[in-house]
Amino acid sequence: MRFFPLVENEVLKLLKRRRFRVVFLILVALIGLIVFAQVKGRERFLSGKDWRVRVQERIAGMQNGVRSGRMPKTAERWTRFEIARLQYHVDRDVNPDAITGPLFVRLFANASSYLLLPLLALVFGSDIVSSEFSQGTIKILLTRPVSRAAVLGSKLLALTLAITLMVLSGGVVAYLFGGTAFGFRGWGAPVLTGFRLTGEAFDVATVRSIPLWKETLLVFGLAWFASLTVGALALLTSVLLRSTAAAMGTMFAALIAGTILPRVAPSWEAQKYLFVTNLPLPDYYSGSPPPIPGITVGFAVVVLALWSAAAILAAFLVFVRRDVLA
Amino acid sequence: MNSSGAAIVLSAQGLTKSFGKRQAVADVSFDLYEGEVFGFLGPNGAGKTTTIRMLVGLARPDRGTVRIRGLDLSRDFAKAMAHVGSIVESPDLYGYLSGRENLLHFARMLPDGAKERIPELSRLVALEERLDDKVETYSLGMRQRLGIAQALLGAPDLLILDEPANGLDPAGIREIRRLVRLLAAERGIAVFVSSHLLSEVEQMCDRVTIIHRGKALATGPVRELLDRSSSGWTRWRVRPAERAVAALAPFAEEPPTSEDGEIVNARIPNERVPSAVAALAHESIEVYSVEPRASSLEEVFLEVTGGETV
Repeated sequence: MRFFPLVENEVLKLLKRRRFRVVFLILVALIGLIVFAQVKGRERFLSGKDWRVRVQERIAGMQNGVRSGRMPKTAERWTRFEIARLQYHVDRDVNPDAITGPLFVRLFANASSYLLLPLLALVFGSDIVSSEFSQGTIKILLTRPVSRAAVLGSKLLALTLAITLMVLSGGVVAYLFGGTAFGFRGWGAPVLTGFRLTGEAFDVATVRSIPLWKETLLVFGLAWFASLTVGALALLTSVLLRSTAAAMGTMFAALIAGTILPRVAPSWEAQKYLFVTNLPLPDYYSGSPPPIPGITVGFAVVVLALWSAAAILAAFLVFVRRDVLA
Repeated sequence: MNSSGAAIVLSAQGLTKSFGKRQAVADVSFDLYEGEVFGFLGPNGAGKTTTIRMLVGLARPDRGTVRIRGLDLSRDFAKAMAHVGSIVESPDLYGYLSGRENLLHFARMLPDGAKERIPELSRLVALEERLDDKVETYSLGMRQRLGIAQALLGAPDLLILDEPANGLDPAGIREIRRLVRLLAAERGIAVFVSSHLLSEVEQMCDRVTIIHRGKALATGPVRELLDRSSSGWTRWRVRPAERAVAALAPFAEEPPTSEDGEIVNARIPNERVPSAVAALAHESIEVYSVEPRASSLEEVFLEVTGGETV
């Protein structure tokens, strides 16, 4: 028995259901709303045409600081990157503080990574096994000459594909909308990255300058990874609970709890090992202060990978052994 | 092999399954041969569906084995299941897909050649015209037939149908019965049919196992079991019934009973029936008809359990 036709089945079932179209429409509507809000905000922000003068003043100020030699070495490094970044924009006659289509995509990736994309991933994941139980089709699915492990494996792969497709289409839609509103160019603009919070101050010693397209790909990759973890956990709850509503409710509750917990109990250190605490990967990457000390992007990726692996293993063990009686 | 030389397709030996303290199926064994329709008869809750779930690998027996074409289901699941098509409990398919998409879906789970059977099978179950409609628009009878087409996609040697007549109108039941007999006779498929209706099993099956409270009570040709339990029960349409009860009493093995003024049920051995008729005529009791009374499932149970009620 070949594996590919099974995956084809699962992908077809995912795409044929209304659920998929609804998720896509939610994405489009939300992105449209954000673009609209950005446009409204920009109208106030970009009233003056004298941005060039102000940016050049900023560059001159920083150049003086560097030349004075009294700047600490690390700050000097960061300042040189910043001067180069501003100069890049001036050379291309682009306001460095204005939003562009590519910048909007980057913003969207960041904002959607810890709730929107994981939520949509769990809509797929919590349904993928339990729907077969509620429809009764599990009885045919598991009485065909195919091992149960292959059936679940095909579902896992289809879920991965669906989540990937969702993240990709989120990016494409954001670029289409953002590009229409703010212009499609600007992928090459340098961005400063690698800030780190040490103690009370930003550590700028590790700052690097990379082109925007690279940064955007990275951030999307992280958002994708976080969504896959949520997908894997949703798959497990779907296997365990055999009811779409129960699985979805459980995962929703976990996600929401994860956004509340660091705020109400910031001193509980062990929560840095929970999967929800580690979901905002792009935030940790770009150096926002983590809610619990000790979380770095590397740490978070490892924790999420462990959660995914454990969830997938548990899902397989239960699915392959358990009697189908309902 | 049985007396007519047909090979065993399915062999269940000592199947036992408990849920907590309740024993749902206890030590059930039977064999199915090529080309026969095998009835699995018992009241609701007797353990029929649990047994079927063990036959198709949905549930693991606590004890006992299932062999399909000699392959142990627990060890060679995929190979064994390649010989089986089934409908367990109800014909559930994907409502948001069309009939054709459902069949294509399950054909992809089978070795090559299943897809090519779709046109022929949809003709067989008379669904050609509705094949591209969504299944959620199908009637229960159509779903049942689509379920059978699905079960036949892999050209199985064994077809397992769980209460196939449930919820169908008389025409639908007749259609399923015709289909089952046809599949057994023309394709040599062994068909396992569970039912709680004696009449259904009587009309459809060659052999039957009676299951009650998880135990297999008896296995044998349908006629034999029926005759065992109905032996001597006759149904008399006579007037007046009250006098007939008294007149028939000397011939009967237990006191005759009358129902609604015209009918008398009496247990009279075959050879005594002519003299009983003569006795009634002698007393000027009008006899309209005498016929062997069909036995009910309850009576079969009474007979095979020796008095224990359902």
